[in-house]
Amino acid sequence: MSTKNQQVIIVGGGAAGISAAAQLAEFGISSKIIDEATKLGGVVYRGPLRHTEELPHLDEFYQKSQKSLQDKYHNNKDKIDVQLETSVIGPDGANGLILSDQKSLSSLNYDYLILSTGCHERSVPFPGWTLPGVMMMGGVQLQIKSGLVRPGEKMALCGTGPLLPLIACQLHKAGVEVEGVYEASSFTRLAKEAVALLNKPMLTLNGLSMMSYLKRNNVPFHYGWGIVKAEGKEAVEEITVAPYDKEWKADLSKARTAKLDSIGIGYGFVARTQITQLLNLEHEYSYQSSYVPRLSGNQRSSKDNVYVAGDTSGILGSDGAAFEGQIAALDIALRMGAIDAATHASRTNKARKGLQRVRNFRFGFDRFSERQLGMLDLPDDDTVICRCENVKKSQIDAAFERGVKDITSLKMATRAGLGDCQGKICSAYCYDRFKQAGHAERMGQLRARFPVEPISFAMMED
Amino acid sequence: MNKNYDVVITGGGAVGAACAYFLSREKDLKVALVDFKKPGNASRASAGGLWAIGESVGLGCGVIFFKTLSKQMNEAKENGGELPPLRPHQLPDFFFDFALTSNNMFPSLHEELREKHNIDFKFEETGLKFVMYDEHDRAYADQIASGIPHLSDQVKWLNADELREEEPYVTPEAIGAMNFTCDHQVSPFLLIDSYTEAARQNGVDLYLNTMVTGVETQGNRVVGVRTDKGTISCNTMINAGGAWASQLCEWATGHTIPVYPVKGQIVLSEKLPKIMRGCISTSDCYIAQKDNGEVLIGSTTEEKGYDTTNTLPELKGLAQGASKCLPILKEMNIKRTWAGLRPGTRDEIPILGPMDGIEGYINACGHFRTGILCSAITGTLINEIVRGKETTLDLKPFLYDPKRFEDLEPPFYG
Ligand SMILES: Cc1cc2nc3c(=O)[nH]c(=O)nc-3n(C[C@H](O)[C@H](O)[C@H](O)COP(=O)(O)OP(=O)(O)OC[C@H]3O[C@@H](n4cnc5c(N)ncnc54)[C@H](O)[C@@H]3O)c2cc1C
Ligand SMILES: Cc1cc2nc3c(=O)[nH]c(=O)nc-3n(C[C@H](O)[C@H](O)[C@H](O)COP(=O)(O)OP(=O)(O)OC[C@H]3O[C@@H](n4cnc5c(N)ncnc54)[C@H](O)[C@@H]3O)c2cc1C
Repeated sequence: MSTKNQQVIIVGGGAAGISAAAQLAEFGISSKIIDEATKLGGVVYRGPLRHTEELPHLDEFYQKSQKSLQDKYHNNKDKIDVQLETSVIGPDGANGLILSDQKSLSSLNYDYLILSTGCHERSVPFPGWTLPGVMMMGGVQLQIKSGLVRPGEKMALCGTGPLLPLIACQLHKAGVEVEGVYEASSFTRLAKEAVALLNKPMLTLNGLSMMSYLKRNNVPFHYGWGIVKAEGKEAVEEITVAPYDKEWKADLSKARTAKLDSIGIGYGFVARTQITQLLNLEHEYSYQSSYVPRLSGNQRSSKDNVYVAGDTSGILGSDGAAFEGQIAALDIALRMGAIDAATHASRTNKARKGLQRVRNFRFGFDRFSERQLGMLDLPDDDTVICRCENVKKSQIDAAFERGVKDITSLKMATRAGLGDCQGKICSAYCYDRFKQAGHAERMGQLRARFPVEPISFAMMED
Repeated sequence: MNKNYDVVITGGGAVGAACAYFLSREKDLKVALVDFKKPGNASRASAGGLWAIGESVGLGCGVIFFKTLSKQMNEAKENGGELPPLRPHQLPDFFFDFALTSNNMFPSLHEELREKHNIDFKFEETGLKFVMYDEHDRAYADQIASGIPHLSDQVKWLNADELREEEPYVTPEAIGAMNFTCDHQVSPFLLIDSYTEAARQNGVDLYLNTMVTGVETQGNRVVGVRTDKGTISCNTMINAGGAWASQLCEWATGHTIPVYPVKGQIVLSEKLPKIMRGCISTSDCYIAQKDNGEVLIGSTTEEKGYDTTNTLPELKGLAQGASKCLPILKEMNIKRTWAGLRPGTRDEIPILGPMDGIEGYINACGHFRTGILCSAITGTLINEIVRGKETTLDLKPFLYDPKRFEDLEPPFYG
């Protein structure tokens, strides 16, 4: 079998994509990574791939991981072709992709395709959530990592999961006054493993654990509290927070306010599946990650030569993403005849074990951080749910009252999800509403459309 | 779910929803509407044009299939071949009546739904202009006009200056336009939504997100509809299954009907300030600016089974056709594209009414490229048939009759 000219394309150069490319390279297989960002590394490791930067306030796990990802790429550079600042905006025929570099369109054929497009943050609407100064955790992190600007002078963080204390420490080290950290889940839900992580000393925190660091620096950490609303004239000036019950319903009788100039919000992530949808892969509903492609053993999708790895197939974090990328690459190497079955089996097993370790570890946190639907009550009638089309909560309610049971009908009735972002922002809320109403099983998916991001008419000229 | 209904409508696109609405107006029948949105369902994919004359003479959606004279000339030149002696494709007179009757219903329907049910499907009086680039386009337009002398009061000619006055963003290359002054537009998904919601307010039971999986019969009589959520008994079933109608008909009657999917692709711009006063058809595509400012460009006519993928060459063709007509678009963005499946028939005429030898079954399908426009008259006729009343229009040319399709050439779409 001649496999020399077979083209392996990887969309997304994060932990999953780079690991896959490096694994392929180890067996002599060249591949091409397409990423829309200006640098490789994915959402988490992108910044630090710049050698010049010193980022003392970032923790040592992070520094180690980014170094290892960086090495993976640099050691295999000659077999990894990288095309940056290029977005995949849709499929082209059965085995092709349409690429956009903002100026023109091109197409690219593949024999094997790995989709590792990562995730984006889950939007949680509450009154005032669209005010300037209300940021997603990713935005907060980006600013910390850039080392240039501080996200705010005085901030609060509201959300759930291990990113909360981590970012709180980073913010504090960067000189931001952290008014408080509000973790939606109660302490009693925290699993042993999670407690262990939070109590692990870190070099970058002068040997303290995240929780001790916060304590020592008088940053209040509230378990079982969350956001209620944000207010301000031009930007956020004040937030209201309240205790959350088991269902994450805010107890307004105990609410209190805080004056500040920005907040970070982080209630989880949603798999980025626009491309997997456009390729017509089969998907299944996942409460944690919205919709994810249905995969068989080796990250293979319902389309035989298309693989999905990393957060796109369910949020597992960068270590999990790397193992998944590796497993996909091993399967492709086997099919291309670059390795024998025994090598494939032993290497795959090893990666699977690693993946299982990640899963076991994450399980504690995922259960702790499992989003509860009480938050759906936060928006007022007038709170905007779909920012692109300016659809208010009352319009969504009206559609539900009229018996809408699927996401497409909701979209057509209210225009939610019909805007430029194609529902990236509002779909998470809408899916949860169907879940709450008992229709999650059959609500269907808010279908992505070509082009995934707007392209100009001029780019359609020949 | 073992309720008994007078009428069960299978399929809740524009046609099924219109039937539900017209049947429910007197609030005396027990009616159910069953629908599951299959990928490519036509009504939501449609442009929402009420182009009664335009579509009947092969413009609008027809323009790519029934190439205009200038297109045929260009292709003949490229292929070095002879120009085929083709005239504009004009549908029979009874279809004009059907389409125009439906068209005339929209202003009052719009009023009625707003007043009684507080819903607005954004009916806009736009006209449809056939924008001409050269003498061949003009010759083609002349032929169209000569084919519809009885409608001459609905045809308004614009010279280049008048066109510029009315549509300042149209390319200065255009030499004029033929405007069909009675051809307008709606928001297609708000129209379906309006019919459906008004029907619900009138007491129709909606079984949404519910798939029909079979039909119960006793002898030659339909007695119920099987769904994935249980069986619904009925005295009459109305088949409004769009491009999937043949399957439903086979379940009900044991016979298929020649209704098949005809794919159409659409390009949609980002929201723009108002750059068009009316809808436009050229020899390349049609262009309509919708109520929210998005400019919609359609459409291809392809026979690709139930495939609903978008393909770059076809999308480019549409986008280029639109930029040629409205050069300002070149600075604008395309926001999304999609494809829908028209319920096509060989003679481009819908199939309406009962079938010989079958009780309790009525067709309301095969509306091809005018199901939005013709939804109102279809709902009216189906209501009359169910109640055994005399019909507003002669039903005969629309009835299923195998002979109707016998001598027709197999369809040929790209
Ligand atoms: C804002 C944010 C902050 C996060 N912070 C942390 C953190 O601090 N710690 C942690 O452990 N986890 C964090 N995560 C989770 C993190 O995403 C994963 O742990 C890890 O990055 C997954 O790696 P991946 O390879 O699957 O995806 P990613 O690292 O997200 O890589 C995906 C890549 O695909 C590219 N891409 C996507 N779509 C296209 C397209 N259509 N065309 C071209 N390129 C495309 C993107 O530009 C990106 O580079 C964060 C996630 C987000 C969204
Ligand atoms: C791109 C495009 C542009 C168009 N532009 C125009 C225009 O400008 N003006 C105009 O008048 N017309 C236009 N048309 C044509 C118009 O859209 C159709 O004629 C019309 O929508 C047909 O309506 P329908 O209700 O018969 O079919 P549909 O809208 O397809 O409705 C049929 C419904 O039945 C459902 N169904 C099928 N089988 C089952 C089952 N077993 N169980 C449950 N449900 C089922 C389907 O999923 C669907 O929801 C256009 C069409 C396309 C594709």
